[in-house]
Amino acid sequence: MIKKIALVLMLIAILITFSLTIQESKEYLDCFSKDYFVSKTFRETGSKNIVTGIYLDYRLFDSIFEAGILLVVVSGIIFMSKKDEEVL
Amino acid sequence: MIYEEVITLKTSRILICISRLLYPFMLLFGFYIIINGHTSPGGGFQGGAILATAILITYFIDPDRITNLNLLIKIEKVLFILILVIGSISFFTKNVFFTNFISIESSTTYKKIFLIALNFFIGIKVALGLVTVFSTFIKEGRS
Repeated sequence: MIKKIALVLMLIAILITFSLTIQESKEYLDCFSKDYFVSKTFRETGSKNIVTGIYLDYRLFDSIFEAGILLVVVSGIIFMSKKDEEVL
Repeated sequence: MIYEEVITLKTSRILICISRLLYPFMLLFGFYIIINGHTSPGGGFQGGAILATAILITYFIDPDRITNLNLLIKIEKVLFILILVIGSISFFTKNVFFTNFISIESSTTYKKIFLIALNFFIGIKVALGLVTVFSTFIKEGRS
């Protein structure tokens, strides 16, 4: 019972903080990066799809490490699936 | 023995027939999405997932198929190193890591080469990764 009450209190606290931050951040919202990407992505990267232009040119390190994470996950799954005698 | 009973239950003739019919079209659709990733919605990761689904549908057609997992993960490592190398070429032409290696003033037709190459390699890498994960689970279920 105590655990459930604590959980509900935690969820309410998270809800209040999130709504407060959303209300505060509305004053600082501006569309600078959106305007930049919409107007200049095709000329700078040559891709009509803005998403591709961002993840293969402006933020290429992000997608490279994403591919690396997939490689690590696959290696881990193969390692866990092997029996102890095969590894040693 | 339990495995064989499950297999005979799960592979009906209609499913196998439809899978054989769909398999080439799914491969074609995956490659279309990967190669047109810079002009239309899609890209390497999404197209790779479709390619992996197309390859995994062959487990319906032939349930006893055996894939060589070591070869698959070796190819995946080589592809990852290739992606890193293509991303790092820009260090020699622009002095910046991980951007397009063709200069920013050149026309958009040449810049597309970089996007198509990276999309293609990322797509094949993602497809191989997902196929390896699923094949490992199937191999575990058999043993």
